[in-house]
Amino acid sequence: MGQRRRAGAVKTLSSERDSADVARICNRKHNICMVSDFFYPNMGGVESHIYQLSQCLIEKGHKVVIATHAYGRRRGVRYLTNGLKVYYLPLQVMYSQSTATTCVHSLPLLRCVFVREQITVVHAHSSFSSMAHDALFHAKTMGLNTVFTDHSLFGFADLSSVLTNKLLTITLCDTNHIVCVSYTSKENTVLRAVLNPEIVSVIPNAVDPTDFTPDPSQRPADRITIVVISRLVYRKGIDLLGGIIPELCLKHPDLHFLIGGEGPKRLVLEEVREKYQLHDRVRLLGALEHKDVRGVLVQGHIFLNTSLTEAFCMAIVEGASCGLQVVSTRVGGIPEVLPDDLITLCEPTVRSLCDGLEQVIAKQRSDSFPSPASIHNRVRNLYTWKNVAERTEKVYDKVVGEEVLPLAKRLRRLRSHCGPVAGSIFAFVAMLDFLFLLLLQWLLPDRFMDVAVDATGPHGLWRQKTSRKKFD
Amino acid sequence: MEEEAFTDINGKPITLDCHSHSSFCREFTVSSPKVSIGKVMVYTCSVWLLAYAVFFFTQNTAVLSSAILITLVGMMLHIHFVKVDHESLLVIGSLGIQVSSSYASGREVTTFIEMSKIKDIVINEAIYMHQIIYYLCVLLKEPFEPNEVSSVVPLFQSSKPRLGCLVKVYKSCQEILSTCQ
Amino acid sequence: MGADGAPSQSVPWRKVLWERQPFPDNYVDQRFLEELRRNEGIREYRYWAVVKEASLVGQQLSCVAIFITFWLYMEQGLLAPETLLWTSLVCGLLGYGLYQAFTSQTDSCSETRTHLADLQSAALFLSFTFGFSPVLKTLTESVSTDTVYAMSAVMLLAHLVSFPYGEPSPPGSLSLNAALFASVCLASRLPGALHTFAMLSCALLVFALWPCLLQRLRENSPLQFTGVCVGVCTGGVGGLASQSLGGAVLLSLAVVSVTFLCPLLLVWLQRHKDNIHGPWDEAEICEDLSHFLH
Repeated sequence: MGQRRRAGAVKTLSSERDSADVARICNRKHNICMVSDFFYPNMGGVESHIYQLSQCLIEKGHKVVIATHAYGRRRGVRYLTNGLKVYYLPLQVMYSQSTATTCVHSLPLLRCVFVREQITVVHAHSSFSSMAHDALFHAKTMGLNTVFTDHSLFGFADLSSVLTNKLLTITLCDTNHIVCVSYTSKENTVLRAVLNPEIVSVIPNAVDPTDFTPDPSQRPADRITIVVISRLVYRKGIDLLGGIIPELCLKHPDLHFLIGGEGPKRLVLEEVREKYQLHDRVRLLGALEHKDVRGVLVQGHIFLNTSLTEAFCMAIVEGASCGLQVVSTRVGGIPEVLPDDLITLCEPTVRSLCDGLEQVIAKQRSDSFPSPASIHNRVRNLYTWKNVAERTEKVYDKVVGEEVLPLAKRLRRLRSHCGPVAGSIFAFVAMLDFLFLLLLQWLLPDRFMDVAVDATGPHGLWRQKTSRKKFD
Repeated sequence: MEEEAFTDINGKPITLDCHSHSSFCREFTVSSPKVSIGKVMVYTCSVWLLAYAVFFFTQNTAVLSSAILITLVGMMLHIHFVKVDHESLLVIGSLGIQVSSSYASGREVTTFIEMSKIKDIVINEAIYMHQIIYYLCVLLKEPFEPNEVSSVVPLFQSSKPRLGCLVKVYKSCQEILSTCQ
Repeated sequence: MGADGAPSQSVPWRKVLWERQPFPDNYVDQRFLEELRRNEGIREYRYWAVVKEASLVGQQLSCVAIFITFWLYMEQGLLAPETLLWTSLVCGLLGYGLYQAFTSQTDSCSETRTHLADLQSAALFLSFTFGFSPVLKTLTESVSTDTVYAMSAVMLLAHLVSFPYGEPSPPGSLSLNAALFASVCLASRLPGALHTFAMLSCALLVFALWPCLLQRLRENSPLQFTGVCVGVCTGGVGGLASQSLGGAVLLSLAVVSVTFLCPLLLVWLQRHKDNIHGPWDEAEICEDLSHFLH
C-alpha cells in the first residue's frame, strides 16, 4: 500500500467532516489546481510565484492544490503552510526537471487529483514544463476550465523555439485564459501561440516587501559596492559583467563588487578576478538561499542586472525594495517594471553599461539620490502578492463562466488553428486522450473515488488541528 | 456486534464488523466477498480452452496436462497467498493492537504491536498504482525519541476500504486510545 | 478586453507595470505590437550570385562522377593503372605549383608549410598506400560485391551531404573519411594491387587536394573559378556519357537543378520570409569580450 515513509514529514489528517465543512465548501468560489513541473524543493521564480499565489488565494477562501512531479524521495502527498496540499506525482523526469510527455500517460493520476479535489479551474505554469502542457490537455478532455501562466520569453529563430512555439500553439488554442507577467511577454506569447490578445491578461509578478527592507547601516562608508545577484549563465549576461568589472575597477579604486549566484559562467568571473588581481574587491558568494538575499542586497549601493532577456525580472524590484540604485539592460519587459527615476537603463553592451554605472556612481558620490527608505516606500506597494491574487481571482471568475469546448468543436478548432499537419496529429491525440478517459471512467467510475478531505484555508481543518490537542 | 456495508477503492462491496468486547477492547473485521464459483469457472475454462487450442495445432498432450496442473496450482496459490477473506484489527486499550488477516485457505497471519510502541493511528493519503487513496495506518514511535515516528504500518492492506469505512474505524480506535492514555 | 468597458480616452494607456492604470488586465491598446519588426537585416539574394555559389555543389557532384568514371574504366581494363598514376602525378604537381602560386600571392608573411614537409607527407602517404595496397585489395574479399557497391554509394552520398560547401578547405573530416572509405571499397574490387594503389592516389587527388586548390581559386580569381566549375561539370557529364548514357543524363539533370533551379526556388521563396523581431529577443553580445580575459 503506497510507500512506507517517515510520517514525521507528513502532516496527517484526522478526517472529520461534518455538515459545516460541506457548507463551507459550497461557499467557496473556486477549487484551483496549480500544475507545473517546477515546485519546491526546486528553487526559482516560477516556484515561488506558484507558492505565493496559492497562499494568497487560500487566504481569500479558495481551495488550492498543487500538482508537480516527484523530486527524488519526495513523492506522495505533502502539506505546506495553511494546508496547501502538494501532490508529488511519480512521473518520469526527462530533462532539467521537466517530465517526459506523451500527452496520455499522465492522465490517470491527474484525473484522480482533479476528481478527488473537485477541481474547477486548472492553472498551469511555465511553457518549459511539459507536465503543465499535459495537464491543460487532460483538463480540457475532462471538461475543466483552464488558465495558463507564461513566465518566459522566447525567440522565433532557432529550431528549438519553433518546436516549442508549435507545442504552445496547440496547448493554448483552446485554453480559456492566459496570464503573462509583462506587456512584452504578452506580445511574445500572442505571437508565439497565435492567440486573440483579448484572452491574455497581464499580471506582473510580485515581491514580498517585508522580506526586502533597506538597512543603510550595513553599507561600508569607505567604498561603493555594486551588487549582482543572478544565476551565472550566458542568458544573464555574465560575459558583459566580465567586461564591466575590470573597466570600472581600474577607474574607481574604491569600487567593490558583490556577486551572488552560481553557474557555468562563474569561470569567466574567476578568470577576470585572477587576471586583474581583484580578489579583495570582487567577492563571489556562490549560490544564495532566498532568505540570505536581503542580507547581501543591503550591503550595496548599486544593483546591477546584465540580463540579455527577461520577462519581468524580480531581482531589480528586490534590489530597489532594499533601497539600491538599479542599473539594468534594456531588454524584454525590464523597461516596464520600475519608474524611470528608480532605474538606469542601458543597452546590452559593456560601453553603455559602464557609462550608466559611472553616472550612477558620480551621483552616489555627490549624495544626490533619495534615501534608501524613501525608495523602499515607493517600491513597497508596487507589486504585492495580494494584488496579484486579486487580479488572478478575476481571471478565474471570468473563466468559470466560459464554455469548455466539447470534443467535436475542440477537434475542429485544433485542425483549423494549428495547421493541417500538427492540428490533425493533435486532434488524433485529443481523441485518444478522450477514449483513454472513457476507459478509465469505465474501470474506476468517478463515484468510487473518495473526495479529498478539505483542509485548506484560514478556517480549515488545518488550523483546527493545530489548536486541537492530540489525543495522546 | 454490528455489520455495515462499504465499498473498497475499486467499488467492490465489503463489510465491516465492529465487535465491542468491552469498553476498551474492540475488534474490527473487514470481510471481502468469498471467491465466487463463477469466476473460478471462467478462469479455469479459459485456460483449458486455450490449452485445447494449442493442443489442436501441436497434437502434444503435455499441453493439456500442464494446463490442468497450472489451474490447480494457481488456484491453490491464489487462495493461500493472495485472496484474503477477512482482515481484522483488534484494539485492546493499554495492551496493544493485533492485526490479522485470514486467507481463503484458512491460513492466518497475525502480528501484534505493543501499546508502548504505538504513537497514533491516523488516516493518510498515498499514491497507489494509478490512484490516490486513503489508508489507515499505525504510527510507530522511535525507540528513544517518543515524539518521532520511526515507521508506518498500513492496515487493511488487501481489502483497501474507502474513506467512509476508514473514518468509522479511526473514530472508534481514537476513542479507545484516548481513554487509555 | 475592449468589451470589459472601454475607459475614458483622456488617460492614455502606457506600457508600464508599476502604475495602476484604469484598464482591465486584458486590455489591448492600439500600440499593441508596435515594436514588432519584420525581416530586419535580411539579406537580399541575387539570382546569379546564388548560382555562382551553387555551382560548387554541382562541381562536387561532378567530381564524384569523374572518380566513378575512372573506376569504371579501370574495372573494365580500358585504363592501365600506370597511365592513371602518371596522369595523377602530373596533375598533382601542376596543382601543387598553382597552389603555391596562389599562396604566395595572398599571404606571403604568414607562416606556411615548407616544401620539404609537403614532400614528406606525400612520400609517407604514397609509400604506405603502396605497401598496403595488396592488403586493401583483399580487404573486402569476404564481402559480397553488391554490399560493397551499396556501401560505396552510401558513403559517397554521405561525402556529398557532409561536404563543407561554405568553407571547403580543408575538407571536413567526415566527408573526407566517407569518400576515402568509399574509394577503398571500390578499389578493392579492381583486378590488381597496382590498380588499387592508382585508384587510391586518384581518390586522394580528387577528394582531398582538389577542394583545397579550388578554395584558393575561389578566393583569388572568381572568374576562373566559375570557368573551372563549368569545366569540371562538363567533364563529369562527358566522362560518364562515355560509359553510361542514362547516368550522364541523370547527372546533368542533377547538376542543372542544383545550380539553376534550386537558387531560383531560394530567391522566389525569399518573398515568403517572415522573420519576427521585437523587444523579447535575446540581446546578442556583439563586442569581442575575450580581450578582458587574455
